[in-house]
Amino acid sequence: MKIDYKIEPPVVEGRLSLSQIEELVAKPLETRPDKKFFIAIGISGTALLIGIICVAITLHYGIGMWGNNQPVGWGFGIVNFVFWVGIGHAGTLISAILFLLRQKWRTGIARFAEAMTIFAVICAGLFPILHTGRPWLGGYLFPYPNQHGLWINFTSPLIWDVFAVSTYFTVSLVFWYIGLIPDFASLRERTASKVKKIIYSIFSLGWRHSNRNWLHYEKAYLLLAGFATPLVLSVHTIVSFDFAVSIMPGWHTTIFPPYFVAGAIFSGFAMVVTVLIFVRKIFNLEHIITLNHFDKMNKVIMATGMMVGYAYAMEFFIAWYSGNPFEQFVIINRAFGPYAWAYWIMVTCNVVFPQLFWIKKFRRSIPVMLAIAILVNVGMWFERFVITVTSLHRDYLPSSWGYFTPTLYDIGILVGSFGLFFTLVILFTKTLPVVSISEVKAVAGGAQPSHHGGNH
Amino acid sequence: MSNSAIEFKAKQIPDTLSKLGLIILAIGVVLGILAFYTDHSRALFNYLIAFMFLLSVGVGSIFLISLEYITGAVWSVPFRRIVEFLASVTILLFILVIPLLLNMHDLFHWTHTEAVAGDEILKGKSPYLNTSFFIIRVLAGLVIWAFFYFAFTRNSKKQDLSQDQHLTTKNIRLSAVFIPIFAITITVSAVDWLMSLEPHWFSTIFGIYFFSGTVLAALAAATLIVVLLKEKGFLHPKIIDDHLYSFGALMFAFINFWGYIAFSQYMLIWYANLPEENFWFLHRWEGGWIVVSILLIIIHFVVPYSALLSQPAKIDPKRLKFASIWIMFAHLFDLYWLIMPNLESEHGYSFSSIDLVFPVSVVGILILVFNYNAKKYNLLPLGDPKLERGLNFRL
Repeated sequence: MKIDYKIEPPVVEGRLSLSQIEELVAKPLETRPDKKFFIAIGISGTALLIGIICVAITLHYGIGMWGNNQPVGWGFGIVNFVFWVGIGHAGTLISAILFLLRQKWRTGIARFAEAMTIFAVICAGLFPILHTGRPWLGGYLFPYPNQHGLWINFTSPLIWDVFAVSTYFTVSLVFWYIGLIPDFASLRERTASKVKKIIYSIFSLGWRHSNRNWLHYEKAYLLLAGFATPLVLSVHTIVSFDFAVSIMPGWHTTIFPPYFVAGAIFSGFAMVVTVLIFVRKIFNLEHIITLNHFDKMNKVIMATGMMVGYAYAMEFFIAWYSGNPFEQFVIINRAFGPYAWAYWIMVTCNVVFPQLFWIKKFRRSIPVMLAIAILVNVGMWFERFVITVTSLHRDYLPSSWGYFTPTLYDIGILVGSFGLFFTLVILFTKTLPVVSISEVKAVAGGAQPSHHGGNH
Repeated sequence: MSNSAIEFKAKQIPDTLSKLGLIILAIGVVLGILAFYTDHSRALFNYLIAFMFLLSVGVGSIFLISLEYITGAVWSVPFRRIVEFLASVTILLFILVIPLLLNMHDLFHWTHTEAVAGDEILKGKSPYLNTSFFIIRVLAGLVIWAFFYFAFTRNSKKQDLSQDQHLTTKNIRLSAVFIPIFAITITVSAVDWLMSLEPHWFSTIFGIYFFSGTVLAALAAATLIVVLLKEKGFLHPKIIDDHLYSFGALMFAFINFWGYIAFSQYMLIWYANLPEENFWFLHRWEGGWIVVSILLIIIHFVVPYSALLSQPAKIDPKRLKFASIWIMFAHLFDLYWLIMPNLESEHGYSFSSIDLVFPVSVVGILILVFNYNAKKYNLLPLGDPKLERGLNFRL
């Protein structure tokens, strides 16, 4: 394929007019849900129900229903938490960091990715709360003076997590909502239903599409992007601190913060690709979410995959270089011990398969990218499993070595979290515009003034 | 197609620049030789700082070139030549590395066979840390960088005449190959030249730490040249504040990145407090070193962060000049903080006028390298298909 570098490739394809874009995005909200919708929500709802049952049993009998044991005190609870927080990284990265990097292509996917961020963080939040064993006492995680004289342990990274994740959730939610305001106004103008009109009017905050409105909007958006950017980095950095501040071999290594952030973006993008493939097809958004979008996302997946690979290699090299026998044992045990199967799943899924994206054909082929994206998600789940479980199961005392096997309840809750995530995603597609109408209009052909001397 | 870029006639770089560069370099070399006579090992460690700084600017510039191609950036195209000029420093490293390789025994503790023999840990590292493998790695790194430097710039300069779009595609492919190789080579350089100065210490993040400084140094050098050229009217009239903004924003981003990586490394080692790692920081907290360590935070983070935070600051030429000079100084200071504590001195930190000598030659070398290239090649990549878009770039 011959590329002309002299012209900017269009972000929106098919020469859609501005009103066509609006029609296309608003259509799912204005039509009744069809059979496919009920089948989809039936499946995700079932998964959610399985999760609810397993959670209820766990709450009734206690954490003993899980596979956690001595020495593996951290099992699925932490693995799933880190996994879901990681998934929640793509949205804010796309909406904040790519915004600051002036990547116009982000507009087609930003809304959906941000929504996924919010849902993923909801899923993530459930696990530590359940893992405390007494979720009803969760209020004590907030530092407030009480008559019991209870005070949180500020030196524990677990409490930093509470603040980091809740801050991230709040800012992501506000960011998402600010972006939705102009769209709420557009929907308000479109709808014929009285109830909908009232709801949209409330949420559009009196938006009039006036020049002054846009001026404020753009300033607020830029500021929020500035705030959200360090948050994207900080959340997974602090999650990595949960492990890395300890003195466990395999956990305590200085590369963890950037390594976790790269891994989070990696898995988050893979999840966004997985879900967008379906959304694009079902809602006929092929001209707005184009193959160019996927091409770029797949490049990000490949790049972050290699960063993760770099971190694996560094861990191996420095474990040897450090001359510390415990470090060396943990790394060798990871690769060749009882959990070698998990380690090699992780390496092949995260490092080997994404290399297929070197080939342009694969970056632009829907079946190939779907397969790779799912494999990356599997691989990234196993990465957290490998980090958590393999470091714990064989510690300094060979007499206390053990093996972790998840119980049905562990798996049930994991399935349930996927159910919750997809139920929220499916509901979202029918209640809110899955693509930012106003932002896509702004990057459509003819929306930008062309400058002198340009050949547009 | 009317191409206003090609019609633009660049002003000649004045001859005084080469004289200025030569004078500075001559002063630097004389002072450097004197320094080696006064205190050989201190001068050697300072020479290593200067060498690492030039490595940062040179290799960091190749990285910036590849970053432009791989991301398809347009705003930076009118400045790519300046970055290419700076990247040619990489070739000088072949000569500059010789004094270091000849004096490895004075730099690296692990080259002392009798010390390694009595030290279990160093014995364990000897398959990696041994003189011949070290030299192989250093030379391999230099050859790889030189290859990519020539490949990138050859295509870029060929394009000036041929305007062949395929050359851009070629360079994009080269960048995709270069970036992973760059990650490995820069990490190996960081481990070899900086981390192995204290051979007992280890940190997995260290390669990324050096990488962040490398990009900063290259970016700051390019920014300084761009602002100076723009002020003196050597650049295309279409280059406006919007272009400068990108330089300011990128420097700001990498200042934050450096702060993030530096904090992560310190925080984890401080918190775990394991004697096998924390001694490296404790050493930098002893005696006068505590002042240097605290100054590093202020010089490398607080000052440039505050200077570049606001939006107007990122387009103000005066502020950018200050910030770019400051950031280059900060990278030197960072290298000083990494390297000098390994010079064996009994009573903590002591300042010596030798520490000021080698940066003089660095300035001279950078001026001469720029002058040499600017006289020989076009200041604008005239045949680049993205040039027109780059010149018309608006925020």
